[in-house]
Formats: sequence, structure tokens, C-alpha cells
Amino acid sequence: MSGAAVIVALRVGVSPDVAFAAFANDIGQWWKSHPLFRLSRKGDGVLRFDPQGPEGRLVTRFDDGDEWEIGLVRHWVPGERLAFGWRLPSFKAGQATEVDVRFEAVGGETRVTVEHRGWDNIPQEHAARHGFELMLFQRRLGEFWRMSLKGMSERL
Amino acid sequence: MNTRVDSTLAALADPVRRRTVELLGERPRSAGELAGELGLAPPAMSRHLRALKEGGLVEDGHPDFDARVRIYNLKDGATAELRQWLAETEAMWTHQLAAFKTHVERSV
Repeated sequence: MSGAAVIVALRVGVSPDVAFAAFANDIGQWWKSHPLFRLSRKGDGVLRFDPQGPEGRLVTRFDDGDEWEIGLVRHWVPGERLAFGWRLPSFKAGQATEVDVRFEAVGGETRVTVEHRGWDNIPQEHAARHGFELMLFQRRLGEFWRMSLKGMSERL
Repeated sequence: MNTRVDSTLAALADPVRRRTVELLGERPRSAGELAGELGLAPPAMSRHLRALKEGGLVEDGHPDFDARVRIYNLKDGATAELRQWLAETEAMWTHQLAAFKTHVERSV
């Protein structure tokens, strides 16, 4: 099962330096909590890299003032790469996944690629405890699609 | 969301296929075994297995001892939970990157 990963990429109309800075510095502004993919029971909170830079960590602060460390920064290369650990409250101690974000110039724009790896680190019983939940899975993804399409049509 | 997730969802849209994935999540099985457990005629079982293969959820192979027997597995040994995690994580980042794009392009 090694190498299980999610890769999502998208192009943004700014330079890699601007994209990196916005990703890292403004994450508390652009990260939009989504009812179907909440980071914790308390929602997503407000995310930030604290402190900014290679010694930082990704932290979120919930409405009640509690904070959760999502993960340590592994690579902080402005304009190129931002990698960090990813651990949610539902994970057991010592379990983590890793997120690697790359910024590549494409013409005058930037391709931003998010690779999220590391299911391996999560024992099966963690998720399996809840059963298969396929119906829930389908309903949630179906709803995700509807919301995405609605959002898209509103922009047109 | 990309077409892979789309076809995975299409494959899972049928209750028989969801049950098939659950059974294969326990252990690999032959088509005949699956048909027996699900109470389906072999042609119907074949149709469902084909849809699951197209959805990237299952794969088939032959055991070493008998090339005539086809054994079905969840693809890459993937469990249903892994599939679910992958699909949800993909959906989450698709959503967040779209939000990021809106943000970063607005401030240009």
C-alpha cells in the first residue's frame, strides 16, 4: 500500500513567488471550511503557519480559542515548495500524513500541485471502526458536486 | 474532482457493486463465489465486475495454480476505507485550491 497519494493541481494567474507567499501567509484567509470535509468536529478553525518559515508549523485556531497543530513544516522554499505534516484530531497519536505543495512557473502563471501522501501511517481500524459508510460517502460527494457546480454557475 | 473520482462514484452507484466491494475488502474472491454470495446469475455478476474494474476499484488476476480461474481483488489491495480517504482528500484539496485561486487572483 505504499505510495498511496492524492494529487490535485491547478493553475493560478500569478508568479510562483506571489503564489507561494499567498499560500503560506494568507492560508487563514483563503482556506474555506467545507461542511463535508471538516478538519475536526469543531470545524476547520483559522489556519496559519507559525512562525512563517522552515522552522514553522501549521496550526489552526478554533472559535473557542483551542489550537491544534496540524503538522511541522518540512520544506519551506519560497516560490518553489512548501511541505508539511498533516495530522487531524481524529488521527491517533503518532499517526500523520504529509502534504507537499509545489509551485512551478508555466508561462506567466503558476501550476500549484498538492500531493497528499501517507495513508500507510493510518491503521485500517481507524477508519474501519466506522464501517464502510458508503452511503454517507456517496451522499457527501454528491453534495460536494452539487455545491461545486452551483459555485461554478454563479461565477459564469 | 477528476474523471477518476467520477468513474469511481459511478461504479459505486449500485448497491450490488457496493456489496461486492465490501466482500472483496474482506478477501479476494472469484466471480463465481461473488455471484453465489450475492445471489446473482454469472452474466449479471460479470457486468458488475466490469463496471468496478472500469471504476478503478477492482482488478483481476489468475492464481498460480490455475489460469482458468479469475480472482478479483480490490485494486492495489485498496480497502474501501482507503478509497474513501483518497476520494475525500482529493475533494477537499480540489475545494481548497479553488478557494486559493480565487484569493490569489483577486489580490493581483
